[in-house]
Amino acid sequence: MNNPKSTSMNQDIIELGLPLNPAYVSAARLTASSIANRMGFDIEEIEDIKAAVSEACTYLIKQYQLDKNAQSTFKIQFMIKDEGLEIQLTTRKFNKDSDREEDGLGILMLEALMDYISISNKDEIDTHIVMMKKLKNS
Amino acid sequence: MNFKIRHKFKELRNQWHISIEGEIDIYNSEQLKRKLYELLEEKQADLYINCKDLEYIDSTGLGALVSVLKKVKQFNGNIHLSQLKPNVAKIFKITDLNKVFLIEGAAHE
Repeated sequence: MNNPKSTSMNQDIIELGLPLNPAYVSAARLTASSIANRMGFDIEEIEDIKAAVSEACTYLIKQYQLDKNAQSTFKIQFMIKDEGLEIQLTTRKFNKDSDREEDGLGILMLEALMDYISISNKDEIDTHIVMMKKLKNS
Repeated sequence: MNFKIRHKFKELRNQWHISIEGEIDIYNSEQLKRKLYELLEEKQADLYINCKDLEYIDSTGLGALVSVLKKVKQFNGNIHLSQLKPNVAKIFKITDLNKVFLIEGAAHE
């Protein structure tokens, strides 16, 4: 542990690939909780991040369940930055023709729990959810 | 991670006393809804849910509770929630559902 680089987390990216299956949402929550804890977020902020990651996964899984031809996996990236934790969820774009179930409660929670959140289908290929929780005193 | 539910019918007061332990999310929220529906089919009564050991609930879990509440309201009953952990209380607050359910007792660890 003499090398300071070995413990610095700054700019690290942790990537998790998961099936779009409700069984693994708790794995995403646990990972989020562990990373946020290491970064120095307080207990309330860690709970916010956990809940936001859970809701974002749930959003993608619900879309997936409506689109029979969708890719069955997604990727979560936890990006450790000076100002806080940026989290990106990416999967293949869902079929536009599928009836998109409005998930008002989940989106409302994402907006309330995080400092920044965007859901985009703009990309031709992928659906992205990007969200950010800032560290206090950053 | 899963959840456990314990329940007891209080005959004199005509109340279901329930405790939920663990985490409720998209994986098991349907199970929670079915279990609570079953209790209401057995006895139409108010639900008193102790959330002391409820570690987490997501939007699908809230959705399940809202649909159970609709069923309870059909016979003028209600759902009472008590001893919510701070993170769970916050989720009810940001979704405004703290105004829909009867929440008793301050949040504490």
